[in-house]
Amino acid sequence: MAVRFNILNNSAARDKYIQGVKLLKKEIPGPTTTSLGIAGPSQQVSTYDLFVVWHHLAMSTFTPPSQGDRNAAHRGPVFLPWHRFMLLQLEMNLQRVLNDNTFGLPYWDWAAAGELTFTKQKTSGVWAADCMGGSGSPVGIGPFAFNAADPNSWRVRVEANVNGQLVQANRGLRRQLGGAVLGLPGQNRLPRKAHTTAALTENTYDFAPWGVSSAGFRNQLEGWQNDPQIPPPSLHNRVHVFVGGDMSPSSSPNDPVFYLNHCNVDRVWEAWMQPAPQGHGRNYLPPQSAPASLRGHRLNDTLTSLLSGSTTPADMLDVSQRYTYDSLAV
Amino acid sequence: MAANKPISAPTAKSIASYVRRNAAKVKKSQRHAHKATESLREADYKGHHIVVRTTYRIEVDGVPLMGHMGVTDDGRVHYHPVPNASFASAVDLVKQLIDVFPDDFTSEGSSGHGDGHGHMRHSRRKRRAGRGRSSK
Repeated sequence: MAVRFNILNNSAARDKYIQGVKLLKKEIPGPTTTSLGIAGPSQQVSTYDLFVVWHHLAMSTFTPPSQGDRNAAHRGPVFLPWHRFMLLQLEMNLQRVLNDNTFGLPYWDWAAAGELTFTKQKTSGVWAADCMGGSGSPVGIGPFAFNAADPNSWRVRVEANVNGQLVQANRGLRRQLGGAVLGLPGQNRLPRKAHTTAALTENTYDFAPWGVSSAGFRNQLEGWQNDPQIPPPSLHNRVHVFVGGDMSPSSSPNDPVFYLNHCNVDRVWEAWMQPAPQGHGRNYLPPQSAPASLRGHRLNDTLTSLLSGSTTPADMLDVSQRYTYDSLAV
Repeated sequence: MAANKPISAPTAKSIASYVRRNAAKVKKSQRHAHKATESLREADYKGHHIVVRTTYRIEVDGVPLMGHMGVTDDGRVHYHPVPNASFASAVDLVKQLIDVFPDDFTSEGSSGHGDGHGHMRHSRRKRRAGRGRSSK
């Protein structure tokens, strides 16, 4: 069984993660841009980039299609189980290319970094040259730095454009750590420990209207809840906004930091699901008896998939036979 | 709730097979485009049913934005291609789009619309920018 470690405490997990995503970036399983309806000359799409396409697809799929808010992976109850499914698929593919069935995705405890000063948040350990590298357009240091002369350097090959369509690209990765965001009150800082521990005190997974205005744990962790102490974008959303660049659009898995963020989100969820009194049990809402207007988010609804068979939120609640975390102290 | 189904270990071959089966969903999502999107908010208050329909038609340099835009119950605006933030001001949102999608907002350019990479680039015309053509 895999153990998921804090990337800053386990250099072996860090190095294997970097090695693994680079191997998936090189693996060409067969699908092409043409076969996926992406305009331009037909190009092979790597396994890593198929995960980018999958995330974009889920985000572009309204659930149900009769409304324009909840989608197949965000802005509703399915946010946590869908991303757990995605991370499991990535983890299994990393295990395959690394030939190591015990490999676990590392996580980034961004709330710990959020305790640092704003300046230090932008230079903290995860941005070191031997970890994810730093800020820039393109990123200039670390394992994902861009070198125009090196075809093997990390390149964004599929991205979402401003109109929400996938297009081809051939450029380096972009980040703008802590960059200014119009309309955002104060500095573009990371969430803090007080925010994650506050989320754990939420007794109920989710509430009607099952969207971005809902009370409950899911919406707090996703980062839409308008809590005066934690103004949106918060928690998960704030991490995307803090990193900026390629972490901003629906093609955000282009940045390997995407998975470190979501692995920590998954860890917070796992902590919330621990038995009482530490947690609130493996409870999920809405039940399958909820109306069809919540199709795609109910307990036994099918999750949107692209490169594997599908699953349901119910099947994602207890995956403790697949992996554990080194710590559930969030 | 622990009776979850087994998950098959992936292979490059299985990935190719599943993607082939699901490709139509991706192709369909590529065809979504909205020159104008209507957002519908409904509420009931003291026995009255309230319906608020909001339609945005946004242009940058004369080129319409084609992504899906919505308004949440608290009046904040969100734009589907920037999924992790919402804005009190639609103008701030569009300014943010120009920052997030630099390749779609070139400084000048007839090279824009529908280039070989499928971008729908927005051009800032010479007469507005008052400067010569820049690269990409």
